[in-house]
Amino acid sequence: MHTVVAIKQVPDTTNVRINPETGTLIREGVPAIINPYDLHAVELAVRLKERFGGKVTVITMGPPKAAEALIECVEQGADRCILITDRKFAAADTLATSYVLARAIEALQEEGPIDLYLFGLQAIDGDTAQVGPGVATRLNVPLITYALHIESIDPEARVAVVHRKTERGIEVLRTRLPALLTVLKEIAPVQRAPLANMIRAARYKPEVWSSTDPVAFDQAQIGIRGSPTVVGRAYTPAPRQAGDVIRVSELGLQECVRRALQNIQASGAIDLASIASAKRPTDGNGGEHS
Amino acid sequence: MANKLTFDAIVVGGGPAGTSAAITMARAGLQTILIERGRFAGAKNFFGGVLYTHALDAVLPDWQSRGPALERPVTDTGYWLLSPDSVLRFTQKSERFKKVPAESYTALRANFDPWFAQQAVDLGVLVITKTTVTGFLRDEKGRVIGVTTDRPDGDVYAPVVIIAEGVNNLLTQQLGLAKSDLPPRFVALSVKEYLGLPEKEVEARFGLSGPDEGVAIDVFGDATLGLPGTGFIYTDRAGISIGCGLLLEQLVINNLKPYEILARFKNHPIIKPYLEGAERLEYGAHLIPETGYDRMPTLYTDGVMVAGDAAGMVDALHREGTNLAMIAGKIAGETAVEAHKQRNFSAEFLKEYRRRLQDSFVLKDLKQYRRMTDFLDSTPHFMETYVNFANEAAYRYFTAHGMAKRDMEKEIIRLLTRRRSFLGVAVDMIKLLRGMRG
Repeated sequence: MHTVVAIKQVPDTTNVRINPETGTLIREGVPAIINPYDLHAVELAVRLKERFGGKVTVITMGPPKAAEALIECVEQGADRCILITDRKFAAADTLATSYVLARAIEALQEEGPIDLYLFGLQAIDGDTAQVGPGVATRLNVPLITYALHIESIDPEARVAVVHRKTERGIEVLRTRLPALLTVLKEIAPVQRAPLANMIRAARYKPEVWSSTDPVAFDQAQIGIRGSPTVVGRAYTPAPRQAGDVIRVSELGLQECVRRALQNIQASGAIDLASIASAKRPTDGNGGEHS
Repeated sequence: MANKLTFDAIVVGGGPAGTSAAITMARAGLQTILIERGRFAGAKNFFGGVLYTHALDAVLPDWQSRGPALERPVTDTGYWLLSPDSVLRFTQKSERFKKVPAESYTALRANFDPWFAQQAVDLGVLVITKTTVTGFLRDEKGRVIGVTTDRPDGDVYAPVVIIAEGVNNLLTQQLGLAKSDLPPRFVALSVKEYLGLPEKEVEARFGLSGPDEGVAIDVFGDATLGLPGTGFIYTDRAGISIGCGLLLEQLVINNLKPYEILARFKNHPIIKPYLEGAERLEYGAHLIPETGYDRMPTLYTDGVMVAGDAAGMVDALHREGTNLAMIAGKIAGETAVEAHKQRNFSAEFLKEYRRRLQDSFVLKDLKQYRRMTDFLDSTPHFMETYVNFANEAAYRYFTAHGMAKRDMEKEIIRLLTRRRSFLGVAVDMIKLLRGMRG
């Protein structure tokens, strides 16, 4: 079973600050990590390899520094890693990125069949969740977003049953393979890598693909030229005002409740009149609480 | 796991001692694995800031052509005696300091250690990060033949293990080489901030003519509230490292928080102008073993040698540590190479490591200053008494009050005797001399 995973190196947004003047991320001094969802995608691919044999290929588009993220994938058990890097790819939006990844995957398809494509749900720096679906569309393969669990997978029969998280519940979907999944963290817990993997990773050098070699990307569709997205303005939302504090110790319970109700009424959030006219519970437990 | 992971040598820890040992062994052709628990070598490391080039010369003779991550050469160095409102400076600035390479450089460990470890990688060392060594593998006679780690299938075998695990020497204790945790009397806690400031501004404030000049100052007295310890100020290329260290026990006895002492130091009227407008880029704290020669762990056993902070190799008086660690690492590495030649990894053979250290400045210096920590421990008033006295005396000396000089001299003597009896002074001086002379 051959799984291709696409990952992204992102700034650790738990540490990131925003420049108040320009509204852009201050990336300086912020550690770069593998996008957390992507790490679970790699983990799933490795678990599938352990079960069915085969291999795991990881690709990423990014600056040369993104090689670090690929080496971490080797630590987790990836077999082959490809870094697609070139100054010409810089400033790509999701359209240009999905073009590059799809073309790279097509080049890999020429080397041999691929059974599954895995992407993280979304990158924590952009939060768009568009690149996975964009690649699926370009490759013309079935797409399952928000993949939560793989119930069954049969590389021979080329079919899988996947649980997908939705707002209303869980969808259980049967798909033919190859398919493209964008995954949630629950899809596979990240396991501590065995020492042998660490040793292999320490010696591993990722393959490097440029914008012309070995794949001749359409220069009009990559980087800033291939990116119609314009960021109009980025800003930090103003902090919310603290709410009113009404102290029982100062005003007494009655007065506090009266004022709270007054505030709620004034805000218009709830129609108190309709609540008051509703029937009170009569099961005997609705009595007074001390 | 089908095949055992086997190497010629294992090094635990990617600091100066471990990396030096690994480089030495790799250059002699030993298959060497270095295991570091941090995300990268140096991720856990922190120091005030001066590196000595004699140690780099010894370990990596062509270090200059390898683009070392250093900040500024030290061309102006010495002591400041700081009282609550004054400073008396004993510093030397010399054209002799301006040779290339300089005797010492300021450095930031978050940059230097990864660079140093990369040199080891380039020389063939296998550096494994994010992996903690948890214990030892032994043969039927109990001799160490490898280590266990916190990873699945994590056992690694080698006939010799060099432990350079740092101040928190749990493995050294596990082997019984160190008898216990470091007692608070013999360990200092150092806190430091790295403050960013434009290069030109650093140079203007410290009187430096360019990036090939730098300052390294140890500050005694009010920097640590007069308690046994030191403050320090080092110039980096575009920033200042400022911090202070106190014996842990003093912090406990006096109920002090190290960051409060540093904040106070930074706000001292003499110090503050140097730091004006600088932005704090990094802060941290680290323990410094000041165990001294007499309480050093045993440095070797069957299949094992210990180097660096794990063995208490710090000369606090001269703020030296990394150079002792690097030289000790190198000697441990050389001993391992010899051991491989003789196929003998017994404690009896590895004793050679300690013998060679005794011939080097490492153990000679540690032996000479064996009483230094005891001196500070037994004369906690020392800094405050004499630093404040020196400043008072200098103030009288450098000003004119229409007073006869003879009377001024008498007053200076009185300033001292008010603080300490003649006998007390004599005892302090004898203790200091003993501290210095071993």
